[in-house]
Amino acid sequence: MFRNRASLCWLAGPPVLYLAAVPLVNRVEPVIFGLPLFMLWMLVATLLTPGCVALAALGDPVWRARRATAQSAVAEAQEVES
Amino acid sequence: MNHAAITVPILAVFMIATVGLGIAARRGRASGDMTEWSLGGRSMGLALTLVLVAGETYTSFSYLGAAGWSYTNGISGLYVVGYLGIGMAISYLIAPIFWSYAHRHGLHNISDIVAHRFDSPWLGALVAITSTVFLLPYIQLQFTGLGVVVSTVSYGAIGLTASYLIAFVVAECFVLVSGLRGSGWVSVLKDGLVVITLAVVFVYVPLHFFHGYGPMLHRLVEQKQRWLTLPGPANHALGIGWYMSTVLLNGVVYSMLPTQIAAFLGAKNTHTLRRNAMIMPFYQVLLFVPVLLGLGALFVVPGLKDSNLALFTMIGKGLPPWFFAVVGAAGALSAIVPTAVFMLVIGTMWGRSVLGLHRRTAARQKELSQAVTLIAGVLALVLTFAYPAALVRLSLLSYEGMAQLLPLVLLSLFSRRMSAPAGAAGAAVGIAVVSALVFTHHDPVFGLNAGLVGLLANLIVVVAITALRPADAPADRLAQPESPIEAEPVAQIA
Repeated sequence: MFRNRASLCWLAGPPVLYLAAVPLVNRVEPVIFGLPLFMLWMLVATLLTPGCVALAALGDPVWRARRATAQSAVAEAQEVES
Repeated sequence: MNHAAITVPILAVFMIATVGLGIAARRGRASGDMTEWSLGGRSMGLALTLVLVAGETYTSFSYLGAAGWSYTNGISGLYVVGYLGIGMAISYLIAPIFWSYAHRHGLHNISDIVAHRFDSPWLGALVAITSTVFLLPYIQLQFTGLGVVVSTVSYGAIGLTASYLIAFVVAECFVLVSGLRGSGWVSVLKDGLVVITLAVVFVYVPLHFFHGYGPMLHRLVEQKQRWLTLPGPANHALGIGWYMSTVLLNGVVYSMLPTQIAAFLGAKNTHTLRRNAMIMPFYQVLLFVPVLLGLGALFVVPGLKDSNLALFTMIGKGLPPWFFAVVGAAGALSAIVPTAVFMLVIGTMWGRSVLGLHRRTAARQKELSQAVTLIAGVLALVLTFAYPAALVRLSLLSYEGMAQLLPLVLLSLFSRRMSAPAGAAGAAVGIAVVSALVFTHHDPVFGLNAGLVGLLANLIVVVAITALRPADAPADRLAQPESPIEAEPVAQIA
């Protein structure tokens, strides 16, 4: 089903950040930028999640093909207009 | 001056604008067929897809429940952020698969997806009925949430009964006329309001009450240590095991909830869905605002009877009435949009998979769907008044119950050998396990989310029956791998 789409393993990033790390970060200290560790970790995970999805997409041949299609469609539309 | 005289007209203006905007969404759309109504003609771009996905994610929970949760139970309220993040990452894979499958076969939601996969109308009807039982409590929760918001913001001038009725009328008006597209347009207004008001609240409330985030966080770390880690101060059941199992279960189930499916299938192509999966997680940063300020409320408004009002009470105390009213409108719309989409998906599933099955009713699926959309709203409204306790009990089951449909709806698309009886038996066992645990107050069980325990039992049954009595589904009833070369499938209009 997902053959030749190795970059999709980046999608495991959010589960690792949000799930696997929980036992390690379930504490108040150290307080960084005034934020207790658990809260800070969840914030970092939330900011990294879109990055993980983006890394998965950038290496994904399906994403590349569809993006190329979308861009050529836009270019064609512009040609028709001009 | 009487504060209600300021807030009530502002609320009224936003409600009228909502109905107007929702109905205007119908303009310029030529055909009034079923696909146009229930899925926006499968033609919605990135913006509408984003707000529709967000509309059902950031419900009135983001204003009430999240703050109330952290006020009472501490930081474990961030489980919402966790499962949404995981769910959206998974949706990069899952959403395009559902989209392509539904597009290829002209399907509208999970009930007809199941009916098609197993070539079994009765199983589709069962899925529609089961989903309705689990979704109705969601609608009731939104009504209740909206009632609390509107009566608080109007300083009691609009009572709970009137609030429920207003929510019902507003939601039905635009969803019956404009369907999913109407809900999308209203979501744009809603999300605009939510982002702006949460940003203002985020900056202003800590400055006003604590002279900034530094002092507020310092006081939290000094005096409220137990609120800042799991399991929190109030309930020892909400420990690490509960947190992880809930995030896992909800994250996996998120992409197959009927409301999410509607938003996915309404997108114009799979690329839109992948871009959505990439952008959407950013939006969750917003959810940190109510969680954080719910903790801050411990110092500002200690000892609240209804903790769900933690954030609202602070806003009412610290900000001018007109802004309080705009926050109220944002809160109200956060309840109305999901209500509308929930009613729409219930209507769609009944129209497609229950009432529209007979050859004499098949041509009238849209009208039947709209009728059920209305009936579902009336039913939720009546139950809200008549048996509020019954629905609150059922709502405990909602997410955990819906999770039991996972093998039928999603896994079956990858397994040629899974038969209808295997999937149905698994779901039945899963729902029985979850119901038994929840109603005997054993959720969490051994520190784990009961829904996950039910899903494990469910999967064991499915795998066992599949091994004993394998089916052999034709290849075109399974999900097709996505290849870079292949073009998007051509729509079949059904």
